[in-house]
Amino acid sequence: MASGKRDLLPGTLDMLILKTLSVSPMHGYGIAQHIKRLSRDVLQVEEGSLYPALQRLRQRGWLKAEWGQTPNNQRARYYTITAKGLEQLGQEEAGFGELVAAIQHVLRGAT
Amino acid sequence: MNLTEVWNRVRDRLRRDRLTSELDEELRFHRAMLERDHTDGDSSPREMQRRARVAFGNATYHRERARDVWSLGWVDDLLQDVRYVARGLRARPGFTLAVTVTLALGIGANAAIFSIVDRLLFRAPPMLAHPALTNRVYVAQSDRGREGVWPGMSYARYLDFMRLTTSFTRTAAFSAATLAVGAGDDAGEMPVAAVSASFFDFFDAPPALGRYFTAPEDAPPSGTPVVVLSHALWKLRFGGRADALGATLQIGPVIYTVIGVAPAGFAGLSPTQPPAAYIPLSSWAATSGFQGSPGDEWWQTYHWNFAQMIAERKPGVSVAQATAELNTASQRSYAVQRDISPDIPPVERARPHAIVASVLAERGPNESRVGKVATLVAAMAVVVLLIACANVANLLLADALRRRREIAVRLALGVSRARLLSQLLTESVLLAVLGGVAGLLVAQWGGTVLRTLFLPKDATSSVIGDSRTLVIAGAAVLIAGLATGLAPVWQSRRADLTQDLKAGAREGGGTHHRSRTRAVLLVMQGALSVVLLVGAGLFVRSLLHVRALRLGYDVGPLVIVELNMRGVKLDSARAVMLRRQLLQQAQALPGVEHAALHISTPLWRTLDGRNGIGVDLRVAGIDSVERLGEFYLDAVTPGYFATMGTRLLRGRGIGEQDVAGAPGAMVVSEAMAKALWPGNDAIGQCVRVIVYSTTPKEPTCTYVVGVAENIKSQRLSEEKGYYYYLSSAQFHPQQGGVFVRTRGDAATQVEAIRRSLQALMPGASYVTVTPFADVIGGQTRSWRLGATMFVAFGGLALLLAAIGLYSVIAYNVVQRRHELGVRITLGAQVGDVLGLVVGQGVRLGVVGIVIGGMIAFAGARWLNPLLFQESARDPAVYALVAVVLLAVAVIASYVPARRAARVDPNVALRVE
Repeated sequence: MASGKRDLLPGTLDMLILKTLSVSPMHGYGIAQHIKRLSRDVLQVEEGSLYPALQRLRQRGWLKAEWGQTPNNQRARYYTITAKGLEQLGQEEAGFGELVAAIQHVLRGAT
Repeated sequence: MNLTEVWNRVRDRLRRDRLTSELDEELRFHRAMLERDHTDGDSSPREMQRRARVAFGNATYHRERARDVWSLGWVDDLLQDVRYVARGLRARPGFTLAVTVTLALGIGANAAIFSIVDRLLFRAPPMLAHPALTNRVYVAQSDRGREGVWPGMSYARYLDFMRLTTSFTRTAAFSAATLAVGAGDDAGEMPVAAVSASFFDFFDAPPALGRYFTAPEDAPPSGTPVVVLSHALWKLRFGGRADALGATLQIGPVIYTVIGVAPAGFAGLSPTQPPAAYIPLSSWAATSGFQGSPGDEWWQTYHWNFAQMIAERKPGVSVAQATAELNTASQRSYAVQRDISPDIPPVERARPHAIVASVLAERGPNESRVGKVATLVAAMAVVVLLIACANVANLLLADALRRRREIAVRLALGVSRARLLSQLLTESVLLAVLGGVAGLLVAQWGGTVLRTLFLPKDATSSVIGDSRTLVIAGAAVLIAGLATGLAPVWQSRRADLTQDLKAGAREGGGTHHRSRTRAVLLVMQGALSVVLLVGAGLFVRSLLHVRALRLGYDVGPLVIVELNMRGVKLDSARAVMLRRQLLQQAQALPGVEHAALHISTPLWRTLDGRNGIGVDLRVAGIDSVERLGEFYLDAVTPGYFATMGTRLLRGRGIGEQDVAGAPGAMVVSEAMAKALWPGNDAIGQCVRVIVYSTTPKEPTCTYVVGVAENIKSQRLSEEKGYYYYLSSAQFHPQQGGVFVRTRGDAATQVEAIRRSLQALMPGASYVTVTPFADVIGGQTRSWRLGATMFVAFGGLALLLAAIGLYSVIAYNVVQRRHELGVRITLGAQVGDVLGLVVGQGVRLGVVGIVIGGMIAFAGARWLNPLLFQESARDPAVYALVAVVLLAVAVIASYVPARRAARVDPNVALRVE
């Protein structure tokens, strides 16, 4: 279990949240599950990071929060990405791509 | 952080409670989902819950993390600090009250005096368009080797300046007058500004109604009788109605047509005494009594200096450039004047020049002594604030020492030092804010008192309503808060955790070096108190000197009756008759002892023989009497000397026999007798009185019939002039007013006298009756002000210093209880302990006295010109202050010392 899970790189949580929401509006639990599932259980989003991050992104105007009903008729808060959020996501993806490429260059050079 | 985010954060902070409950719901949902997804069928519900809880982690922690997002960081910390500090202050009402009152006095005094000084020295007149470019122009000239500077110049000079300069965008001439406004019962004397049409261009003040007058309406000889009302007068006389335009209003002798109303708040150049109305300078000059002659009318003559000048420099023209140009213009103008009157001194001797100064009169070369005293009082207020701050710092310091253990505990529990410091500062700033609020109340009340003292005619708003004063008060609060907080902060910087935690109730250890800060603050307070008290002593002595001064006449019982003819023209015979009737009526009144006619009023309006009304004296054996000095004259009726209380040293006064046609009679002052006939008897000497306008060049003798004591006629401080008295019947009998000597207090009889005499006045003319004390009261005002303010502030400072000393000694006594207990156990007597403690206070006092004395001594030079017959280094004053301060030090330390001496060694030692 310990080897199966990785901590997120700093700053990547925001990007993953935005990416997740770019698919469809989702509630907090759904976002956590989505990230976990797509990363094949490698990325574990802590609730203690998730909810503050959601509030922060909302304050920045990148996503909106609305109360809605789950398919099971439970009340849950759904987050929707805004136009500004999409724009931000594009920037972060590009930036992250460069960063990863750069890191790989270094790693390859070092071996 | 962009704006949206800031806005969102603030909004979130405001609805934090709702967001928190929403988050709680969200987290509950999350947990419920976890529970559901961890259900695998075979485990018990309890086990499922446990697993979910493990997966979920610490709920409170999550919540707190999220809450951080919608809190505002340091703002919330600050609010928390404020709440914490406020709780602490509520728990210590005595301490809080002491600090608040101390700071309120300091801040209040500053706000109040600032509102005065600001008006006198800093604030440009309201609505002035370009305050930085606008200057008053003064003329300066040397006369008998002494340079004089005047705000007033002749209109001809003003025209020359306009013609000969290019430095200015615009110039204007104006004159301030007090004229009767209205007619009949409504008439009352009000300040009126006579201004050139260009005056209004200096202001960014479109009229509230109608228009301002134009240059053609202000053209010599007498302009057009049109008036612009002040907003206040418009409200008062016309109820603020638009139909005021076109209405007529008598001002002085002229009936004016109202053409406009100035906007509210407009006060020309004299906000401290706002004019009621603005009339064309020409219309005023033509009717103000100046007797012109063809070719020497009011706008042509260089002799009548009634016009003040303001000028607005062109952008880029410096004051120095403007001055240089005006200096050249002054010389050329003077040359023109000399062509007309060749008898004036040559330009090299007169050295005419101009001074370009601030638009504020009090900052110009002719600042009044009251203005200087106001500045001094402002400096005093700052000193009082310093003392108050020192006191509060001391109290806070004592408090911080008392709370040392609490602070140590909090540090040990992990409160960051920065946070602790910010709490200490928050406390002192919060206290300062409390003090500031209370201070504004003090200022509101004190400001009213101060304004009646300094600016009796100012009708402007209160302290609280004035934004500039509020800003200053706010700055004072902030400075006081930070300054007083600094001491405890500096102190806590050195806090030694383990030491403090161990120290226990006795708090021995490092106390000694810590009380040194407090001792320094105390010495500073003592020194500043000494400075203020020395000032108080000097001003009080000055005032006593002024009071004790022999003026050469009485003041208290005298009232002065002035005639205001308002255009009622009387021929010479009727004017003489009117005065005779007024005199007889006054003498017949009960409560009147004596009355006499006069044309000069000492210390207010004296007639200068040569420069004033063109009178010269010739005495056999003296080439030029005028060379000897300045001669002032009066023309009086019999009984004048009895009325005034002026002593006749030899001969007789002006008598019934000195009528027109009889040989001329003259009474001279003692100094004049000595100057003209040194070593000889003045009585019987012949003086030829040459009146340029009328008499033949060789008039007959006027004989000296008496010698009177010298009087103070020009100023209290020095008297260089000579004074002589002619008979009213023989000289200008149709002019002047009445001096009335009442029995007892003059002020109570003013109205009775006025009513009785007014009945004799023809037409719209009227009399004003004023106690002589009021007329010359201005002469003593600055010393009275100085004495009052210094005594008030000095007393305040002394009180604060005493409280400070008391609290420090009392605190030290508590600290040293253990040590004192040991001493008493070992056999120290009550006297020893008293001596020990009092000695400490006295040592501090002595150091304060020495330092303060040195400061006062160094500043003495600056104070000297404001004093009267009093050296600023008067040893008596210094000695007295030293004794007072020492006495205060002894008393302030004796009280706690008594307590120390009563320490029960058993109790003190057992505290451990």
